[in-house]
Amino acid sequence: MTPDRFETLAEAYGGDVARWPDTDREAAAALMAAEPAWARDALARAADLDAALDGYAAPRGSTGLADRIAAGAPKARARWVGWLLPAGMGVGLATACAAGVIAGAQLHAASSAPAASDADALVTAVGDDDFSLYLDEDA
Amino acid sequence: MGDPDEELLSRVASGDPAAARALVARKLPRLLSLAGRMLGDGAEAEDVAQDAFLRVWKQAPTWRPGAARFDTWLHRVALNLCYDRLRRRRELAYAEPPEQTDEGPGPDRGLQALDAGRRVAQALQALPDRQREAIVLCHYQELGNIEAAAVMGVSVEAMESLLGRGRRALRVALIDMKEGRHDS
Repeated sequence: MTPDRFETLAEAYGGDVARWPDTDREAAAALMAAEPAWARDALARAADLDAALDGYAAPRGSTGLADRIAAGAPKARARWVGWLLPAGMGVGLATACAAGVIAGAQLHAASSAPAASDADALVTAVGDDDFSLYLDEDA
Repeated sequence: MGDPDEELLSRVASGDPAAARALVARKLPRLLSLAGRMLGDGAEAEDVAQDAFLRVWKQAPTWRPGAARFDTWLHRVALNLCYDRLRRRRELAYAEPPEQTDEGPGPDRGLQALDAGRRVAQALQALPDRQREAIVLCHYQELGNIEAAAVMGVSVEAMESLLGRGRRALRVALIDMKEGRHDS
C-alpha cells in the first residue's frame, strides 16, 4: 500500500483501522509497521474528526414511540378466521351466482315486453304518425 | 452469511407481537440515528421511523429470504423517506424564502459557543446530501463499504470518494473545534 492510499483510507474511513475495508487492513498494518510515526500522525488527524462526529448524539425518540410503532405490526389471524374466510368466500360466490341467474331471468323478461318508457322513447324517435301506424299493425 | 433479522421478520409476519416489539427495539434506534443525522431534526426523524416501519409491517408477510439483507433494505427505505422530506424542504424554501434575520452580536453571543454536537449537526447539514449520506452510513450506522455502497446504489469507489470529500469538508468546517480540544 502506498502512503497516498493509506491517507485516502484514513480520510474516508477514519482513524480506526479496524473500520477500514477488510481487503486493505493487512497492507495497512504492514505500512504502519514500516512507517510507525508517519502512520500514527495520519491516523491521529482522522481520529480527531471521528471524535468530533461522535459528539453529535442521535435523537432518542419520544416516550411511547416504540409501543405506537409495534402496535401497527401484523396481527395473528385466529384459527376460526382462517376457516371462515374460505367458507365465507364460498358462500359469497354462491350468492353472486344466484344473483346473476335472477338478474339474467329478469333481463330476459324485460327485453321480451318493452316497458312504457321504451315505447315513449320510440315515439320521440320516429314521430307520432309512424308510431300510430306501428301501433295499428301491432294491434 | 445469513441475514440476522430473517428469523425475527418471519415471526413478525406470522403475527407474533413479541417479535414485532423485538424488531422495533432492534431497528428503531438505528432508524432514528439515520434519519436524525440526515435531516437534522428529531421530530422528522420520528416520522421517518414510523413510516419506515409501516412499510416493514406491509412487507413482512411477503419478504423473500435471501433476496436482500433486511437491514440494507430498511436503510434504503428510510433514506428514500429522508430524501422525500429534503426535496419538500427545498421546494418550500424556493416557494417561500425565509426572512433574513440579522442575529448580530447578542449579549452572550461570541462568549457562549454552540455546543459541540450542534456544531457538528450544522456542519453535517451544510454538506451535499450524498456526502452526508456516505458519512452517516459509514461512521454513524457502521455499515461496511460494500453495504454502504449498495444502499447508496453506487460503486465502492464512488462511495469512498463521497466519504472522503465529505469528511474533508467537515474538517475544514470544524477546524476551530479541534483547536479548542487541543488547547484545553
